[in-house]
Amino acid sequence: MWRNPRIALVSLVFTLSLGFRVVNADVVAVVSSKSPITTLSKSQVIDIFLGKRTRLPDGSSAVPIDQVEGSAARDEFYGRFAAMSAAQLKAFWAKIIFTGRGQPPMAVPTSIEAKKLLLANPNAISYIDQSLVDSSLRVVLAP
Amino acid sequence: MPLCAVGAETADSTTEPSIFSFSAFGTVGEVHSSEDKADFTNSIFQTNGAGYSRSWSPEVDSLIGGQISARITPELSAVVQVIAEQNYDGTYTPHVEWANIKYQFTPDLNVRIGRVELPTFLFSDTRKVGYTYPWVRPPIEVYSLLPITASDGADFSYRANFGDVTNTTQGSDVQSDTQQPNNRASAIARDSVNISNTTEYKSLTFRVSYQHARLTITSLDGFLDTFNMFGPQGVAIADKYNSDSKIVVTEVIGASYDPGHWFVISEWAHARFNSFLGEDTAWYASGGYRVGKFTPYVTYAHESAASNSDPGLTLTGLPPALAGFAAGLNAALNTILEAIPDQSTISVGARWDFAKNVDLKMQFDHTRLGAGSDGTLINIQPGFQLGSTVNLFSATIDFVF
Repeated sequence: MWRNPRIALVSLVFTLSLGFRVVNADVVAVVSSKSPITTLSKSQVIDIFLGKRTRLPDGSSAVPIDQVEGSAARDEFYGRFAAMSAAQLKAFWAKIIFTGRGQPPMAVPTSIEAKKLLLANPNAISYIDQSLVDSSLRVVLAP
Repeated sequence: MPLCAVGAETADSTTEPSIFSFSAFGTVGEVHSSEDKADFTNSIFQTNGAGYSRSWSPEVDSLIGGQISARITPELSAVVQVIAEQNYDGTYTPHVEWANIKYQFTPDLNVRIGRVELPTFLFSDTRKVGYTYPWVRPPIEVYSLLPITASDGADFSYRANFGDVTNTTQGSDVQSDTQQPNNRASAIARDSVNISNTTEYKSLTFRVSYQHARLTITSLDGFLDTFNMFGPQGVAIADKYNSDSKIVVTEVIGASYDPGHWFVISEWAHARFNSFLGEDTAWYASGGYRVGKFTPYVTYAHESAASNSDPGLTLTGLPPALAGFAAGLNAALNTILEAIPDQSTISVGARWDFAKNVDLKMQFDHTRLGAGSDGTLINIQPGFQLGSTVNLFSATIDFVF
């Protein structure tokens, strides 16, 4: 297929760099632009996702929307904002689940799904790739 | 590894909230002890351990548990957890560890009724879920002070946020009957009132807890009653060491700091049993560093008994026949008091998160027993040396799904 090894190499490097860019893209915490919330601190956001905080600063109840285990956005979000690996996060939730104290937030498979739920519920908060943010969403926490 | 496959399949099922959710956890482990005249166990409620019963024992740490949670309404939920592990009688018949109904009055206040755990120590509510902590097992010097894991009654949990601080207060009023190995009488705890307060600020967790209960263990009553025939001094000894509805008071202070790439954890505990179980003060400090999937750690733990001996009955003035009998009683009493743990352990180990939802841990413990104590060891055999040192090697695989 690749007659010219140089083109093949350039393509490969290009593809790899794209892949690299996607994996390391900035994940931001977002709410619907209809939400009154404008900004949240790192620990407020993390506490909401870890179930330690159930309300938004305006007193309304927070509805965190997670991404499923194994998704790049999830690993990036918890790695960057909570310094937790996938295993640490799993251990954290095992501690909550096996004491009957709660269940992890609802999880969706993609950022697109997360966006859909955010638009449907002004109390919802999620995290998505920055490149997917448009005027319907508001970034409340960026790296 | 088939367990990983199961984990991977069920993980995605959390996307659709349903009324019921099933979770499971388990540990497969082997422990070797250098001391062959006594057994190392994870809890005083186990009958066999590593050392005397078996040189390498899978019975100390291995267990499997399953849990069904039901979310009946947004406020009302129920949980049943069943565990199969080495029971007091050496069998592995599964038992109901917890079964309770929870009502969530507000997002921050809930009440549970049924069989619950007591959040005395930082890891006491998940001490059987190895995946939730860095070590092979929580330091036994501290965690053996309160070996009862499940109690029946009611508890509440109230959480409040102040800025970046989360404060959770838990309280309970419970009771428990726990069967002991070797046909010894059950440990019966009544009017057990517990209060604990956990404060979390960013990577810092701080917990204080207090427990007050009445504990009855009648297994030594026959023996201690014999002291009554020796007049007021004998009666005083019997009263001091029996455990007939004796007040047990426990205080615990614990803290952990875990910013992600490393952690330090320390807990201090004091328990006073007012009986042959004595009085103990214990603490540990542990630190670890996460390098990719590896978490090497080191722990130092110390437990000291207020006393491991008693002068017993005064022999002078007793008729020779009675004096010999009294000396025998004194010796037996002191053997019982030697079982009050007094020891220190230095542990080094590592946790390896080698696959999704599965870890492998290896740990080496070097324990020095107090001069007059069996430490936390059980099944003491003739020829066992008080004050000896014990080396343990443990390897476990923990999983959750």
